[in-house]
Amino acid sequence: MNLISPLANIHSKGQFGDYKDKNERELLKISELKNLLIIQIVQYKNSQVSLENISIDNLNFNNEPLKVTSNSDTRILWNGPKNWLLVSSKKDLINNLLNVCNESDFAVTDLSHSKAIIELEGKNTREVLKKGCPFNFNTLEKNNSINSTYNGIAFTIDMLDTNPEKVRLFTLRSFGESFYHSITDASLEFGFKTI
Amino acid sequence: MLHIKCPHCGLRSQNEFSYGGDASVKRPELNQEISDKDWDNFVYNRKSLRGKHWELWQHLSGCRQWIKVERDTATHEIFNTLKADEEIS
Repeated sequence: MNLISPLANIHSKGQFGDYKDKNERELLKISELKNLLIIQIVQYKNSQVSLENISIDNLNFNNEPLKVTSNSDTRILWNGPKNWLLVSSKKDLINNLLNVCNESDFAVTDLSHSKAIIELEGKNTREVLKKGCPFNFNTLEKNNSINSTYNGIAFTIDMLDTNPEKVRLFTLRSFGESFYHSITDASLEFGFKTI
Repeated sequence: MLHIKCPHCGLRSQNEFSYGGDASVKRPELNQEISDKDWDNFVYNRKSLRGKHWELWQHLSGCRQWIKVERDTATHEIFNTLKADEEIS
């Protein structure tokens, strides 16, 4: 079966907005991420299992708000109390996950095909996010993640790096095109390059 | 813009929250006889207070948890927030 990416109809490569007379390195870079494993993991309220004993791809579930635990392939985002979003380039990790997370203690849901993911990189990344999201981005640090809204569209931000600033934005697949338009419209004044 | 301090996530814009009603209403005990008037009071009848008031809110676009918020209905000032399972003192 051929998989059609959520942004296949609108994401085209090129330079847009106020990019003329600017160094290409200074432009915002916008790309669509595909083929990632995205799993929602929820620990049931009555579960007594200690999270310290659970490890996936050598990462533990962290119950600390906004924190992301990560290695080069996998990131586990705190999504709420006893609620995480696992994002990985290792597609076979789900089998490992189902073995580790007992179904009487955890609800494990594969969301890989229900999310649109945009990666944004460049020094004006925060400015673009500030235009549509009410969160105070001065408090967002590397390896933090938040859920919020962008022009009314619910989305998740994963702060990958701060130098240069690099974020992954997740939204529902069905909101993907509207969300992409919101992000690219906000990026026009800085000039951006789509990859 | 109104800001609400979510006990799980921290200070967030009110845009991320959804109002859920009066937090002081208690559901009648299960498996006990209850009069129609008491049931009406639980389901429909609400006081429309002016001043400090405990309300339920859901952090819908954040951690999706229900929380309790003490808000002044006249000035919109927020005094306190609690997790849903924490008792109002």
